[in-house]
Amino acid sequence: MSARAPDEATLHAWVDGELAPDAAAAVAQWLAEHPEAAVHAAALQAQRASLQTLHAQVLDEPVPPRLRRALRPPPVAWHWPHALAAAVMLAVGLGLGWGIASPGVGARPAPRAGSTAALPTFVREAAAAHAVYVPEQRHPVEVAAQQQAHLVQWLSKRLGTALKVPVLDEQGFHLVGGRLLPGEAGQARAQFMYQDAAGLRLTLYVSVLAHPGTQPAAPAAFQWTADGATQGFYWIDGHQGYALSAALPRERLHALAEVVYRQLE
Amino acid sequence: MNIDAAIVHIPRLRRYARALVGDAARADDLVQDTLERACQKWSLWHPPAAAPAEHVHKALRGWLLAIMHNLHANQWRQAARQPQAPWDESLDPGHDPGAQTTLRLDLERALARLSPTAREVLLLVGMEQLSYAETADTLGVPIGTVMSRLSRARAQLRQLMEGGAPARAVLKAVK
Repeated sequence: MSARAPDEATLHAWVDGELAPDAAAAVAQWLAEHPEAAVHAAALQAQRASLQTLHAQVLDEPVPPRLRRALRPPPVAWHWPHALAAAVMLAVGLGLGWGIASPGVGARPAPRAGSTAALPTFVREAAAAHAVYVPEQRHPVEVAAQQQAHLVQWLSKRLGTALKVPVLDEQGFHLVGGRLLPGEAGQARAQFMYQDAAGLRLTLYVSVLAHPGTQPAAPAAFQWTADGATQGFYWIDGHQGYALSAALPRERLHALAEVVYRQLE
Repeated sequence: MNIDAAIVHIPRLRRYARALVGDAARADDLVQDTLERACQKWSLWHPPAAAPAEHVHKALRGWLLAIMHNLHANQWRQAARQPQAPWDESLDPGHDPGAQTTLRLDLERALARLSPTAREVLLLVGMEQLSYAETADTLGVPIGTVMSRLSRARAQLRQLMEGGAPARAVLKAVK
């Protein structure tokens, strides 16, 4: 007995294994009796099979590190009260304390009870270094970007850790170069300077923290400082503290900080 | 359940994205965006209750594919809305019209000429081997829509691979 001709959708459903067993058997029976339709069904099956072989080599490639990293949540930007942010001064070493933690931002550890989260020393150092070297016309850096390999080797050696220089060309900032700076307790610090086409300068200050445990509680979270027109984000990642400073709108700098953070991971 | 459970899905997501957008770098960008979004939305992921590990695995893959679909759809909708930055698949660097004409390249090239919605349904069913119901869930459309899009997409793909008639204008209108 020959059933009714299956419509196109049913034929596709048969090829895709979507039909119940008896319906599938009816289609198979009908196809056996209609060679032209069977050719069409075979073509559909072949097309499906060919899609399964497409880009099969990608399955065997190692997962790119950036995709693995994408599963790590990015640091959460802390929202400091504006009044407090405005109070940070250019004055070096003034050491204004941060007494207030921002309320209401979920998914981050609460500051330790009763503690006042002081600005880490390296952030003050970073602000000072930014203020001093950004206006410098003749010697903004010690080692220019043309000698980048040497720059990275040298600073890595002095800081005692392998440094990476983030690439911000896509964001419009090219590397000017870097310099070695003194930090607290005679430690070495590094400053990398970037500049955009308009001549606006951005600095990334890198410090290796001697006693990370003694720093104010700062999980991998971006924290915001403001110093007149110069804005800064800083964060602590393991034993390293980073501060990114520029006279840029906060959102723009935050985006840059995300890029830097990702590249440094 | 930890977000690390998503790691095992990355190779398949990469392959699917590669077929979807054509270009390797842009495909990985899409995967990266997908994983980042999954990270942000992880608290919204609820594995099926009391289900075998295999079902949970499949459900997570479907969830990730749905995120990727939404991101991808936003991208091409935006591209379609901006006339000064037209969506032009023939300019896709992953598809050199002068390249040799092996079957595989033909398939890639033909796929690249389909509309994004046609390509998605073809790949979800054909490459990812999702059921119609799972495909409907992923795309957020009824099963009937999946079936009609699928028949149409397969016919278009076949026509492109067989006839070689540059049916671009027609295909654009179908979308």
